[in-house]
Amino acid sequence: MKKRFTKEAVLVLLAIPILLWTLLPIYHIFLFSISSKDSAFSGALWPDKPTLRNFGTIFRQEQFYLHHFWAQIWNSLWIAVAAGAITLAVAACAAFSISRLKVKGGRAVMNLALFTYFIPAAFLAIPMYKAMGMYGLLNNRWSLVLAMVTLAAPYAIWVLKQASDKLPVELDEAAKIDGATPLQLFRLVYLPLMTPSLIAIGTYALLLAWNEYLYAYLLLSHEQTIPLAVALGHFIAADDSPWELLMATGLVYALPPAAIYYAFRRYMVSGLTTGAVKA
Amino acid sequence: MASVVFDSIYKSFGSTKVLHGISLDISDGEFMVLVGPSGCGKSTLLRMLAGLEDITGGTIAIDQRVVNDLDSKDRDIAMVFQSYALYPHMTVRENMGFSLKLRKESVRRIAEGVDRAAKILNLEPYLERYPRELSGGQRQRVAMGRAIVRDPKVFLFDEPLSNLDAKLRVAMRSEIKALHQRLKTTTVYVTHDQVEAMTMADRIAVMNEGRIEQLGEPLELYDRPANLFVAQFIGSPAMNVFEGTFRSNSVEALGARWPSTARAAEGQSVRYGIRPEHLSLGGEGIPGEIEVVEPMGAETEILVKVAAQTFTVMTHGRASFAPGDKVRLAPQAGHAHLFDASSGRRI
Repeated sequence: MKKRFTKEAVLVLLAIPILLWTLLPIYHIFLFSISSKDSAFSGALWPDKPTLRNFGTIFRQEQFYLHHFWAQIWNSLWIAVAAGAITLAVAACAAFSISRLKVKGGRAVMNLALFTYFIPAAFLAIPMYKAMGMYGLLNNRWSLVLAMVTLAAPYAIWVLKQASDKLPVELDEAAKIDGATPLQLFRLVYLPLMTPSLIAIGTYALLLAWNEYLYAYLLLSHEQTIPLAVALGHFIAADDSPWELLMATGLVYALPPAAIYYAFRRYMVSGLTTGAVKA
Repeated sequence: MASVVFDSIYKSFGSTKVLHGISLDISDGEFMVLVGPSGCGKSTLLRMLAGLEDITGGTIAIDQRVVNDLDSKDRDIAMVFQSYALYPHMTVRENMGFSLKLRKESVRRIAEGVDRAAKILNLEPYLERYPRELSGGQRQRVAMGRAIVRDPKVFLFDEPLSNLDAKLRVAMRSEIKALHQRLKTTTVYVTHDQVEAMTMADRIAVMNEGRIEQLGEPLELYDRPANLFVAQFIGSPAMNVFEGTFRSNSVEALGARWPSTARAAEGQSVRYGIRPEHLSLGGEGIPGEIEVVEPMGAETEILVKVAAQTFTVMTHGRASFAPGDKVRLAPQAGHAHLFDASSGRRI
């Protein structure tokens, strides 16, 4: 009894600084976003006159840097959803054929997927820029979507393959005897049983694309095509950066991922850990 | 309904040969059991019939049609797996109707087929449930229902009772047998349990190391095992076997003479086999000492030591022996089996 109490006390003592460490920057963002321009740097823990005016400015696009706010957040959403959906489709098909249909060369594909982790994504930025330029995709939202799919797919394939391996092979055999073609097996048996992992991986790819900065900055440069993440970067270019607006926009930008993660948190935990360890 | 013919079937996994030319004719409506220890190739043979394994050599014919190159779905078979292999995301009704749905049958036909099978198996109250909400025995019945719905030419069972507890296994055994007597569909049933084989089969094929050791009706295998392997595999408790030398109508072994009506050459090295129920304990016979007494109610199993060999003796009713008692062991000469010591074949 006493031992358990001590253990929990230690955990709580560890948790408090970690929680503060994590929440402090977020609180800082929040503080800025409800402050007026004058009081933003006052250093107080709570502004004298908290205000929501910054958000009004953002939503009405009333600032030079925010003239394309709605177009840019739409770009972010469009790119994230497209990247998530395509990654999911590619990875699900790959995992199904490698794990269930046992296609030749499956192992090699898995090893290559693992190998991509050895190369930092930043190294690939320039070659990717060149490739997109050759295809004439620069300044086109598709270039970023394709780049994000390229970066997310190996991990997605790896996780989905591991999860697929856990489905009993007898299910496939039963379906085969029942008369299912590989495509029917995929659609009617495999996809329904893989739903938790698919949701987890889809969310992963979506958030990866939503949060991407470097590739977005390189591949897209037009005010109308850039996602909000890049637009936020432009704020700092000014001599007197409107920090309170930057922070308020950042807060708005952070809300959708938080909502998505919250909605799917059940699948995120179970989906990403299934297959990670052999039970 | 249909016959099944295996003609010199070979199977290798890489360089490992697992089946060495199996030929087996299963007639229309027959209940054939493939039995053998694990790794003997019985499941592989069944899976080749199902179309789940490639055939390395030989042909398999169902209803006089060679099916080597046919997909599973075109072989008109249904299979029941050891793990049930029910689709977890479908209800019992959807599980059972899945094959008909894939065949694009009408909704009405599917419902009729499922209802008919559910009635046969008493599954009607469970049709809207999911597999996870069923007990092991119910799941096994759904797996059988899925097979019945298709009305196939051949039923394949791959150790279907191994995941059930002992009591349920006995119940399901009778249920499968009754089902076969009712539907009269040709059935190939794989098991490692010789009791299942004995109680259910019309004929049994005893397999070992990729070959059929003996093929025959259950009691034929029991009474006239073709070799030592079959003799020791079929029957529980197992046959008592020991080595000796044949001399003038009996076998000399363990410092005694063991009577036999079977004959071997004078001085030949043989293996003498006698089933536990063909040994009795009485005033005359070979001297031994009681080691263990295991009363089972209707019968009593007694372990008796003669020289260095322990014999199992089965007697009806109760026995008033205690460990350490000196007894005399009397074999029934007419039920003794003689096997060649080197080849293991029946003499």
